[in-house]
Amino acid sequence: MWNYEKRLQFPVNIKEPNAKLAQVIISQYGGPDGEMGASMRYLSQRYSIPYREVAGVLTDIGTEELAHLEMVATIVHQLTRNLSMEEIERSGLANYYVDHTVGVWPQAAGGVPFNACEFQVKGDIITDLHEDMAAEQKARSTYDNILRLIKDPDVCEPIKFLRAREIVHYQRFGEALRMTQDRLNAKNFYAFNPGFDMNEKC
Amino acid sequence: MEDKTKYSMVGKNIDQYPIAMAYVPWQEFGKIYEDLEKAYSYGTIFQELNKPFVGRRCVS
Amino acid sequence: MNQKQRLLKDIGIVSFIIVELTLFLDTHPEDCKALEYYRHYNNIKQQLMKEFSQKYYPLTLDYVDCDKEWTWGMAPNPWEGVC
Repeated sequence: MWNYEKRLQFPVNIKEPNAKLAQVIISQYGGPDGEMGASMRYLSQRYSIPYREVAGVLTDIGTEELAHLEMVATIVHQLTRNLSMEEIERSGLANYYVDHTVGVWPQAAGGVPFNACEFQVKGDIITDLHEDMAAEQKARSTYDNILRLIKDPDVCEPIKFLRAREIVHYQRFGEALRMTQDRLNAKNFYAFNPGFDMNEKC
Repeated sequence: MEDKTKYSMVGKNIDQYPIAMAYVPWQEFGKIYEDLEKAYSYGTIFQELNKPFVGRRCVS
Repeated sequence: MNQKQRLLKDIGIVSFIIVELTLFLDTHPEDCKALEYYRHYNNIKQQLMKEFSQKYYPLTLDYVDCDKEWTWGMAPNPWEGVC
């Protein structure tokens, strides 16, 4: 189960609101490669993982992604608080504002609401770990794209932190895949699904 | 305590590994940043995992 | 940076080191160096958390001391920022 610490994993203190940037960064909240998808993906996949250590990796990284979700929401919140109506209209935020005011609602920058199609739980450990490695790279690429747009160091610092975490997570999932390979027959890793099949004829 | 971070296939050339599979090299507990406050701002305590983004789009 | 901000920052740094070590140990469960670092920083974090909760407010429910009032709800929320 989860405990809560009343602090962010990395500080977010943004002095200057920026509605345009908020509309882009919200993709890391509810978008296809964002932190909500990441946390739900890992925390959902772990149940059908046959090896305890690998399930442990999914639990711990999934938990860290929840902390990142909170950071991204905080960034969006601080970028949109104290906006005037003129700024809301001028920045293109009006369409979001009419449904959510300046609340933080999980959607992609393009408007697609967060949904479970943003991630897969295949129930096969090799497949799920490959999905996880891809997910970390997609998240990193998204942060690269965001960094090209940022000029404010208050926003840059937490985004750079979040991007670095994706690279570390990629390495851990890669190691979890190595641990999995060690438990399977190298002559044929795909002979059976170790979380579902018996490897002998019934 | 015995240090068992080595698993099978370590030491073999990557091209001798079974094909049709992906392999990420094992990280050894290498150099940690001495300035841990700096490490915090980088987003990792491990020097070899710090890979900053320096891209900028230039359209000629 | 005042004393409270400094202590909160130190808690942030130590907690982050612990997370890094946790993930490393998840895939290197018998790495002696990592285990030693983990023990060391875990002790430091507990001391810092106790100090912060005594001086300011509890950061987790484990550190709530509610002799006179319910301090957990009074703590500032992390998304408010310093600004």
